[in-house]
Amino acid sequence: MKVLLIEDEKTLAYEVEAFLKKAFYICDMAHTAGKGLEMLGVNPYDFVLLDLGLPDLDGLKVLQEAKKLNPDAAYIILTARGNIEDRIVGLDLGADDYLPKPFSLLELQSRMQAISRRKFNLNTHEIILGEFVIDLQKRIVSHQMNEIELTRKEFDLLSYLLLHKNRVLTRMQLSEHIWGTFADDDYDSNYIDVHIKNIRKKLGAFGQVEWLETVRGVGYKIRK
Amino acid sequence: MKLISKLTLFITLSKLAIVLLFVLTLPYLIGEIARNYTDYYLQQQQIKVLEVVVKNGVDAYLQGEESYGSYTMLKEEYISLEPVEKGFVLDTIYTDERIIEQDTLNYRVLTHSFITENGTYLMEVGKTIETIDQYKRPLQRIATYVLLGLILITLIIDLFYTRYLLRPLDRIIRTKIINRKFPFNENSVPIQTNTTDFRFLDDSLISLMEQIHEAFEKEREFTANASHELMTPIGILQNKIENLMGEPEVSDFVQERLIGMQKTLNRLKRIVHSLLLISRIENEQFSKKESVSTAELFADVMDEISHRLSERDIILKIDISNEITLENINRDLLFQMIYNLVNNAIRYNKPSGFIHIVNRINPDGSYDIDLIDSGIGIPNEDVGTIFNRFRKASQSEDSAGYGLGLSIVKSIADYHKIVISINSEIAKGTTFTISFPAELIRFLT
Repeated sequence: MKVLLIEDEKTLAYEVEAFLKKAFYICDMAHTAGKGLEMLGVNPYDFVLLDLGLPDLDGLKVLQEAKKLNPDAAYIILTARGNIEDRIVGLDLGADDYLPKPFSLLELQSRMQAISRRKFNLNTHEIILGEFVIDLQKRIVSHQMNEIELTRKEFDLLSYLLLHKNRVLTRMQLSEHIWGTFADDDYDSNYIDVHIKNIRKKLGAFGQVEWLETVRGVGYKIRK
Repeated sequence: MKLISKLTLFITLSKLAIVLLFVLTLPYLIGEIARNYTDYYLQQQQIKVLEVVVKNGVDAYLQGEESYGSYTMLKEEYISLEPVEKGFVLDTIYTDERIIEQDTLNYRVLTHSFITENGTYLMEVGKTIETIDQYKRPLQRIATYVLLGLILITLIIDLFYTRYLLRPLDRIIRTKIINRKFPFNENSVPIQTNTTDFRFLDDSLISLMEQIHEAFEKEREFTANASHELMTPIGILQNKIENLMGEPEVSDFVQERLIGMQKTLNRLKRIVHSLLLISRIENEQFSKKESVSTAELFADVMDEISHRLSERDIILKIDISNEITLENINRDLLFQMIYNLVNNAIRYNKPSGFIHIVNRINPDGSYDIDLIDSGIGIPNEDVGTIFNRFRKASQSEDSAGYGLGLSIVKSIADYHKIVISINSEIAKGTTFTISFPAELIRFLT
């Protein structure tokens, strides 16, 4: 997957690049709209991560231009402006998603993954996890043709852990993904633990769930 | 009392006082005028009598008699001549009784002594008081009518003119004071007036409002810009920590430290987020065109928050009518408002406590929702400041709150013209009452 990151804040851009490279994306960077459009004209990209607050051209105009140059790419808007009009206009102009700054890199990857599934229809819907099969598209967990019923939040939690498998996710990161801005301030509270306990209980009735690990003092991870 | 009422009252009362004074003094005044005129008339008569006496001689009138007397048929006037001692001098006008043919009558009498070749004579010319008084009554009546008419006309003119004069003041009050709400967003239009006092008042008010508005704008802009500028470095830091945490060679010790940093950073992020949200609400950046039923709204909130109830073993009971829809609102904001209030009720509750949510429709069409909790309560002295930014309940044991949750609630409520009132008792619990104005309410039938 080829990603073009158009972001004028260089330090931020390097962090995003470093993260995406680790997640096996090929990442190019442009720090101005002009450079970004130039690169889009030359190379085909699967993803364009576009900052709206660019110094040389209004971000929404860049989006329009970019869509002309490369209509097949998936566009994710990154912005600190965060007002609702921008978001609506951005999505109307054909952006696939919208991430307000500051965003979590894990969240960014999760959004990109979701777009990949939706847009590029990759055959990675079904993931085998121990004795279980998880269909991310249909949002179903099954064990030997038995469908296991998980709540929406439980499934979100499971798929987020699965996406970032082999990586410990803190309770804070998990709750931010699931509750977004409404997540509350006291992360030491155990409601993430309650959900994990429920997932273990529901899946545990069918088979082994030792792949879902508790990392003491940190959080949870799926080992695979 | 309004200035115009005071002026009206004063003008009316002062005119009435003048009328009263005049009416009371009128009989005396008219009497005076009548008497003066009568005296003048008697003097004229005296001159005429003296003229004829000089012309015809006294004897022509005395005709051998000692004295002469003549009166009209109704005894309204009389003239008499009688001799007096030599050297007797009298020349005066006075009121006295006279007996004429057994009738005792009051006369205004002019006496005058004069000397002829036959000796000194005293002349009296009299006119009955009754005839004098007969002018008094019609005069008095006419004077009263004319006076009342004049007073009425001036009163009307005065009232209309003061009303006209004070109209700019009324307009200043209506457009600049009553119908204006902080932070005075609309432009002020100067009032048309050529009264310098009102001009000055109006100009001062306009400039004051502009100053307030400017200061408020600056603060709002600052909050928005500052929050906005803070987001970028926070984002960089957050991503750096995330990347670092993903490194396999990071030890458990460092990992733990990184989580601590992440928590602190997240706290900062949340504060900035909240400030930005408040400034956006105050900037009126949210549309208010949505509608939602209260039952649905509470169901949404419960969906997000129920895990916190079970965590603290709190029993929540919702008795909300499902026939009420809130209109012209922003659904996300109302969700946030209810969420924060319920969250607050959970956070400051005692373990295994309760939260009870009830509603009622008031006779005036407004709609109240009560959030009753069995929490720690809010001290009386804190109730007034609880919605202030960065204020934490002093009795709170956990330091989780950053004091912006209720500020957000307040901004959202103000933005929708919703009133929130608090009734609290220490160690017993708190009731937050959310009062929706009637125009936000629609009943499902």
